[in-house]
Amino acid sequence: MGFFDTFTDILEAALPWGEARAEAAEPEEKDDEKESGEEGKEDEESKDEPEEAEEEEEEDEPETEDPKEKFEEECKESKQCSPAKHHFDECVERVTGADEGKPVDKKHPNEDCVEEFFHLAHCANQCAAPKLWAALK
Amino acid sequence: MAGSAATTVAIGSMAWYYHLYGTELHAMTPAEEGLHPTKYPWEHVAWTKTFDHQALRRGFQVYREVCSSCHSLSRIPYRSLVGVTHTVDEAKAMAEENEYDTEPNDEGEIEKRPGKLSDYLPNPYKNDEAARAANNGALPPDLSLMVKARHGGCDYIFSLLTGYPEEPPPGVKLADGLNFNPYFPGTGIAMARVLYNDLVEYEDGTPASSSQMAKDVVEFLNWSAEPEMDQRKKMGMKVLVITSLLTALSIWVKRYKWSPIKTRKIAYSPPKMGGTGPNGH
Repeated sequence: MGFFDTFTDILEAALPWGEARAEAAEPEEKDDEKESGEEGKEDEESKDEPEEAEEEEEEDEPETEDPKEKFEEECKESKQCSPAKHHFDECVERVTGADEGKPVDKKHPNEDCVEEFFHLAHCANQCAAPKLWAALK
Repeated sequence: MAGSAATTVAIGSMAWYYHLYGTELHAMTPAEEGLHPTKYPWEHVAWTKTFDHQALRRGFQVYREVCSSCHSLSRIPYRSLVGVTHTVDEAKAMAEENEYDTEPNDEGEIEKRPGKLSDYLPNPYKNDEAARAANNGALPPDLSLMVKARHGGCDYIFSLLTGYPEEPPPGVKLADGLNFNPYFPGTGIAMARVLYNDLVEYEDGTPASSSQMAKDVVEFLNWSAEPEMDQRKKMGMKVLVITSLLTALSIWVKRYKWSPIKTRKIAYSPPKMGGTGPNGH
């Protein structure tokens, strides 16, 4: 599709009678027509009905779920990220254990799990990115 | 005996040298560096693609309803939205919602007037000091050129907006008033997570998940940083097509013009010597 877009774009760009147009303003034009001529009244009524129906459909939607969180959770559990997840979980256990009074590693008394978290997040994001873009508009 | 000692010393000194100079040094810890953003397959980045203007419109809505309470977008006037995200009338209506200073009147007083298309988007704070005072000392940066101004561009901003974890990893100590965000260098950022699902209601009915809002607003910010992008790509394509045609033409013309010279044959027939020719010399 992108390939053919290129050609149509080039053609449009090359044609001297090509026209750049701001989108929209259609509904307003319709309003003008209605004001100027009363003949369009029947059309007006028929146009309004489908719009109302659409609005009702939108209201029924349940709460949206964030696809990014969903895909990343899946990715964290996947085989691809299992080493990173393993290290992160281990670190969490070690650090929270240290808080609870277990013997602390003397070499690293103030350890945090930022690095392990980075590796896990990097892996999960990498894995979720294409799926996420397919799901978003 | 001497040989093995020499070998040991050699290997030992090499090992010591590697120990001292061989390992890579980092001036910063990974946390200070920040997590590098993931590359996302942005549609508008492709050579032959334009901005998705429906997304720009959604993105502007997100900026207006969410970001604009702290971040300015001072380089964008209302007129530049016309034909990009909004129609003239819509842009005018939005401009009129704000008040701007007039020119001094006859008494030298400066009054207020409703905004016009030529006015710039209003700043949320009077000046930087007011912005700092309202935000615990942290200045919310202007977003006009933010996509160009940050390493990683769109990917960085998208990751930053959607990257706040539920809770920071254990062991992390943050200064007062800072939030944990892995993508922000140093991981402590003054801005809290702002994008939650269904925070805005899109006109076109797109489900407003937080990543959808982040994607739209990032694309909008990319537009605000490079409003000329669509035109630039189109112009670039024209330039490539026309110059390649002209190059081919000029090569052909050169070969055409030179063909008699390149294909000519210079022959030299020496005069016959010795006087025994057919002419009887």
